Amino acid sequence: MLTEFGKIFVFLIFAMLFVAISIFIARLIRPTRPTKEKLKIYECGEEAMGTPWIKFNIRFYVVALIFLIFDVEVVLLFPWAITYKDYGIYGFLVGIIFLVVLAIGMAYEWRKGDLEWARPKPNIPDLSKILKKKIAQPETIEPSADN
Amino acid sequence: MEMNSLYDSLSLIAPELIISVTLLVIVLFDLIFKNNKKMLPFLSTVGLAVALITQAGNLTDGGFAFSPENTPLFYGMLTIDSFGAFFKILVLAASMLIIYFSSTTDEVNESFDRLGEYYTLIFGMVLGMMFMISASDLILIYLSVELLSLSSYVLAGFSKNKTRNNEAALKYLLFGAFSSGLMLFGISLIYGMVGSTNLTALNNFLQTGSINLFTITISLILVFAGIGYKISSAPFHFWTPDVYEGAPISITAFLSVASKAAGFALLIRFIRVGFVSYVDSEGFWKLSEVFDWQLLLVIIAILTMTLGNFSALWQDNLKRMLAYSSIAHAGYMLLGLAVMSDQGVLAVLVYFFIYAIMNIGAFFIVMLIANRIGSENIDDYDGLGFKAPLLGVSLGIFLVSLTGIPPTAGFIGKLYLFIALVDANMIAVAVIALLNTVVSLYYYIRVLKHMYLVKPSTEPPVIKPSFNNLIFVLILAVPTIIFGIYFTPILDFAKQCVQFFGV
Amino acid sequence: MEVGLSHFLVVSTALLSLGIYGVITRKNAVMVLMGIELILNAANINFVAFSKYGNFGLEGQVMALFIIVLAAAEAAIALAIVLNIYKTFNHVNVDEIEDLKE
Repeated sequence: MLTEFGKIFVFLIFAMLFVAISIFIARLIRPTRPTKEKLKIYECGEEAMGTPWIKFNIRFYVVALIFLIFDVEVVLLFPWAITYKDYGIYGFLVGIIFLVVLAIGMAYEWRKGDLEWARPKPNIPDLSKILKKKIAQPETIEPSADN
Repeated sequence: MEMNSLYDSLSLIAPELIISVTLLVIVLFDLIFKNNKKMLPFLSTVGLAVALITQAGNLTDGGFAFSPENTPLFYGMLTIDSFGAFFKILVLAASMLIIYFSSTTDEVNESFDRLGEYYTLIFGMVLGMMFMISASDLILIYLSVELLSLSSYVLAGFSKNKTRNNEAALKYLLFGAFSSGLMLFGISLIYGMVGSTNLTALNNFLQTGSINLFTITISLILVFAGIGYKISSAPFHFWTPDVYEGAPISITAFLSVASKAAGFALLIRFIRVGFVSYVDSEGFWKLSEVFDWQLLLVIIAILTMTLGNFSALWQDNLKRMLAYSSIAHAGYMLLGLAVMSDQGVLAVLVYFFIYAIMNIGAFFIVMLIANRIGSENIDDYDGLGFKAPLLGVSLGIFLVSLTGIPPTAGFIGKLYLFIALVDANMIAVAVIALLNTVVSLYYYIRVLKHMYLVKPSTEPPVIKPSFNNLIFVLILAVPTIIFGIYFTPILDFAKQCVQFFGV
Repeated sequence: MEVGLSHFLVVSTALLSLGIYGVITRKNAVMVLMGIELILNAANINFVAFSKYGNFGLEGQVMALFIIVLAAAEAAIALAIVLNIYKTFNHVNVDEIEDLKE
């Protein structure tokens, strides 16, 4: 019989074989048409050469901030994940409540447009319409005495 | 943990649960009805009112919530008692006032798109404060302090496009994060010595264990840095004037009342549960010999009020002046705690109740005037008293009460403080506090002088507050006078509440 | 040489001192925040070390998890505020942001 580590070893061999075979088959059947762009080193869409001290788009930081929060909140799930079975359905519900709150946070980001790359315009009242209205009724221009 | 005890714990923190649910409801409401911001203050007020009624109904409840497994029953993450109930009622009531306050502040309403966040974060602060008030475990103390801080950092810089808002947020953040980091390091040292983060365990350890005096002194000073920052006491007060001046004025009022109340509740409980060996027949606390809290608090209190009062003397911005005045008031209240007796705590409770009313009132009138004339500078107040008679008179009442002159409520607060000090034979300290009060008279009365006696260079504008705002001013101004004459209800309420569970 | 509690305490105290040094001497707001992160991590090392060597149960390690989450939340809020500062002031130099002083 295999030991526990033996099983992992077999798994490892299969994983390596799978990768090697698929790359080999892909090489056999894919067309090869290299261009200059395709031969470049891939680096997340940034220019691979040049000074590292360029200014990044500010949207990167916002996405990073949002990612950071949701990424780290998962830490709180680890202690829950190993013990929730001991407490039956209630232990499960506790975790679900946490996840629901996180989901509401996610929905908030989405709805406020912070996940879009090109941010939707904020809902600002149309100034020209208000001005037209005020020109039509000039007595409302004066600031009201009310605080 | 047994399921039964979980239910018991949850029923003990019912007001906190109501606040959390309201927070989620506000977020969802803001998501679904994007353009209906009028309902947000209303929803918030309803949530706070329900929590307030629940809390008032459970005034005398006592118990430990969330006790860890396998420990005797006198442990818990949270201690629910009537002392906590007093401060929670104070925080909830102040929050309701602040919600109305915010809904009339131009500075807040300008950022229409983000009003949902504003009310959500206010609830984050309220939740943090309520856990701070009843926390009896160092883990929870740190977590609740951070919950309060993180929400208030954002709120201090809420109007993003204003320079002074941004600056206030940055300063608040840097000071706050630094001092809470130091506090955390102190907590880690205490955990290392005691082997538990519970305050009751700390008390047991101090009475029996072998103690390294140097380490415990260092760690307690570090913990005090965190709490002292929250109540803006002397060596940790540098952020206060800048943040109070820069933040939106409703947030300034909230920080100066509710946040400070939670900080004081935390400090009182920390000392009472963690360090008092026994209480003698006259109500004086006998502390463990390891650390002289009384000496530390007396020195810090005197430093705090002297610095606050003397810096306030030459402030021309009313918000900034009120910030220094709130530092001075923190000093007076620290003296009440420094007496280290039940009577001293009673004085703090009475003082806080009155301070909350008059301070919110003063800030509200400054806000109404700033909404109209666009300035908080004292020179722009010249002659305003005759153009806005009711506001002028009410501001006069609040300022006189902040000074502590009879027949206003502020006098009663100071009176009980001085009685507690004299009873504990701390005459010299009482005299210093009295001299400080005399100094404070100058800068409070200076505002009134500008409003009524200085001849304005240009004709001041007429200020007519709306009916609702007038009612709000009266709700605050009338009690300030009434409690100055008939103060038995506050006293009875506070006396009922000087009770700690499980010590 | 056996690695014991005192080694961890030396490391954490060193981190604390470096953090305080960073907060006090740096002018760039981001660097100040890094100093604060160092302080938090110093406390974190303390918690885990005490919990391991003192046989105090898992309280300290749970605290460490909470601190990690809180540090991340604090960093997110702090960076958001610093971004805003950069938009209004065009720099993040703490010493020069003093409009409110008089």
